[in-house]
Amino acid sequence: MKIIVDNVPIECKEGERLIDVMLNNGVEIPHFCYQQDLGMDGNCRMCMVEIKGAKRPQIACNTFVCEGLEASTKSKSINAVNRSILELELLNHPVDCPICDQAGECKLQDYYMSYGLYDSHLTTPKTKKGKHIELGSGVVLDQERCVLCTRCVRFTSNITKTGELGIIGRGDSSRVAVACGHELNNPYALNVVELCPVGALTSKDFRFKQRVWFLDSAKSICHGCSRGCNIFIDYNETKYTKESIYRFRSRRNKQINKSFLCDFGRLSYKELNEKVISTPLPMEILKDLFKSEKKVAMVSPSMSLQQLQSVQIFCKNHEIELFSLPYIDESFGDDWLKTNDKSTNFAGVKELNISVNQDDFENSLENANLIINFDHTLLKEREIKDKKVIHFTTTNIKIPSEAVFAIANFAHESGTLINCDGIRQEFYTTKYKNEVPTLRELLKRRP
Amino acid sequence: MQTKIVSKNFEIPHANTMEVALQNGRYSSLGKLFSHTPQEVIDIIKASNLRGKGGGGAPAGAKWQLASDYEGKKYLVVNADESEPGTFKDRQIISKDPHLLIEGIISTCYAIGSNTSYVYVRGEYEEFSDILQASIDEAYAKNFLGQSAKYPVEITVHRGAGAYICGEKSALLESLEGNRGHPRLKPSSPEPEFYFGEPTLVNNVETIASVPFIIENGAEAYTAYGTDCSSGTLLFAISGHVEKPGVYEAEFGVSMWEYIEKLGGGVKGGKKLKAVIPGGASTPILPAHLVMEAKLDYENLKSLGSALGTGGMIVLDEDASMVKVLKNLLRFYHHESCGQCTPCREGTSWVDKTLDKFIAKTATKKDLEVLKLVSKSMNGQTICVFAPAASGVIDGFLKHFEAEFLECIK
Repeated sequence: MKIIVDNVPIECKEGERLIDVMLNNGVEIPHFCYQQDLGMDGNCRMCMVEIKGAKRPQIACNTFVCEGLEASTKSKSINAVNRSILELELLNHPVDCPICDQAGECKLQDYYMSYGLYDSHLTTPKTKKGKHIELGSGVVLDQERCVLCTRCVRFTSNITKTGELGIIGRGDSSRVAVACGHELNNPYALNVVELCPVGALTSKDFRFKQRVWFLDSAKSICHGCSRGCNIFIDYNETKYTKESIYRFRSRRNKQINKSFLCDFGRLSYKELNEKVISTPLPMEILKDLFKSEKKVAMVSPSMSLQQLQSVQIFCKNHEIELFSLPYIDESFGDDWLKTNDKSTNFAGVKELNISVNQDDFENSLENANLIINFDHTLLKEREIKDKKVIHFTTTNIKIPSEAVFAIANFAHESGTLINCDGIRQEFYTTKYKNEVPTLRELLKRRP
Repeated sequence: MQTKIVSKNFEIPHANTMEVALQNGRYSSLGKLFSHTPQEVIDIIKASNLRGKGGGGAPAGAKWQLASDYEGKKYLVVNADESEPGTFKDRQIISKDPHLLIEGIISTCYAIGSNTSYVYVRGEYEEFSDILQASIDEAYAKNFLGQSAKYPVEITVHRGAGAYICGEKSALLESLEGNRGHPRLKPSSPEPEFYFGEPTLVNNVETIASVPFIIENGAEAYTAYGTDCSSGTLLFAISGHVEKPGVYEAEFGVSMWEYIEKLGGGVKGGKKLKAVIPGGASTPILPAHLVMEAKLDYENLKSLGSALGTGGMIVLDEDASMVKVLKNLLRFYHHESCGQCTPCREGTSWVDKTLDKFIAKTATKKDLEVLKLVSKSMNGQTICVFAPAASGVIDGFLKHFEAEFLECIK
């Protein structure tokens, strides 16, 4: 089936939402309240389009396509409509972009540049509302910047079903709020910051740290659990500051995480900024060590398939017994995104037939004199007496060990993961020049 | 000049009690009702050309048919959230002849196949709500209602919390479901309303109260009154600068000026008429010269650039300041906008605040432009007709009385 948007034919399916067809085909359509994974609400009136044959402009989010539909987003009259709605959205807005964290990724700014560019008609005082309201879970609300699209309200009522947020007041005194004595408190709370199309909801963790136009994004996969939520790693590499990662944002994947992330995963970016200290050994000593008879190795089940394979080959060449145990945390999972298995690629471990038997591992450990740990959390915390331990690690090791080789974390070594549902996904690196070698480089080099 | 159909028992003392009500013919239409099949009742209503009396004037029969065509559980919701400024007719029915409403509810439920009905009463109508509840209790005791009745109907009275927007039928249902009273998006093709997902008929109190007369006397007895397109009568209300404000039932199509003169007792203090807001605050104002030619029916008032609305006329005499009148109305819209859609939420507050400058006589030419501009932005771009109505009000005042606004520009 074909419809025509701005004189261009677009292929689509009967009954799809016009706004989805437009978004999926790169047609610019201004919108605040519509979000592909929250669905339609119809309150912002920003996505108005002209439909041939319709008396009035229609909202694209509540228009379903049918054969022969002709829509226009560019005509003079519809742009006048968009402009008048935008003017109303911005009417009582404080226009504090220079100090607003959303600046640079704010829909109000974007649409003002596309449809606005007018001088304010307002000659009466602006409506005052609350500023810097801490809602809980590290979310800060500025009611004056809010366009009342209710994305955040619908997220807590329809998606998490926790219902902390609501609208109180009527007319121009409407505002987002939590009930008295309550707070925004759920393991997915920070999604409301990402859903907010303007600067009304900001994250305490990220606000004022970095201007978004200085950030680059890398397509990656969250390494918080086995769900494999798709993310963007937002990082910068300006000339004067130390390169670092500022946040994770969700990357839409209809099959897995839609547009959402859990707070645990979202905040796990911090580990990636850790500077890991290497305490290597001279080559001769290492070679001697590897001559010891009984060697056992443990590999993290969060490593990519490529890393696991090179570890597997390395162990085979050096006659090392290789194990991998999952990171099970019964208190972590829920019935949505979080899984009890906090390892990212345990399905990959099983695919490569790496031994996952805990008892066998403990036996081998008992008998071994050299233990090689490939970034497995368990051995990073467990002190093993009278045995020599070599770590290849992405985090600092606090227990005594024979040697520590820092290796690049998942922001700096790309690869493939298999998630808990058997879905194979690629992730990519940032543009950084690695400070430490990748595991694969290291294994090729070492004894 | 009065034609008393719905208001027949209004003058009778204690007509709200079962005893007096029965003596005066209440529940007498039920015999005839049950001799018809439900579909026949709907056909009678269609033939009577009964139109929704809450302001919209949509044909009631067609709406009943939509609800009736659904299988399974259905609801009747009676809209008694009467909050349109200048409108005070439903409370007369509820307080003076509640058994008429109950009789109408039984008939309507029978016609559409519903056994459950809600009466959504405006929050401020506590007293009237109590009267209605007492009558409902009597009707249960007499087995007109409840499971032992000939046709079982349950009626629950629900008092709103005093929001004007809950008179909008979909917002009313949202409120009844326990949510914020926000209007719902309108369907693209005709369908009934839905209450918790079940098909629901929402009708105004007066519409339902008109049903027993039609059932008892037939459709033709009803169409004998009024005009071709606007059949029957309406409980017109009159307030403002008149000698005898009140609710007087009259046929559709009577002259507005005659109504004001004869039933309203003329303009107060013998002053000259300046203008009339014809059908509740949300209808565009008519200046005196148009009032003289206006007829009280849907078609005529539409042709004059206004609307019949609820039929609640607000009369303004020669001394009324149109700027202050508009400010009064806009303060109301500002206060009552639900805040869901952008044009209404921001627009109503903007025009209200701008009007303050006209009142203070500090307005500029730009402010007048703002009024016109915002009024345009509020029209035709929202979920419900609240903002378009406010826009129509502003346009009406500026069309007929712009000179008074220009006087306030410094």
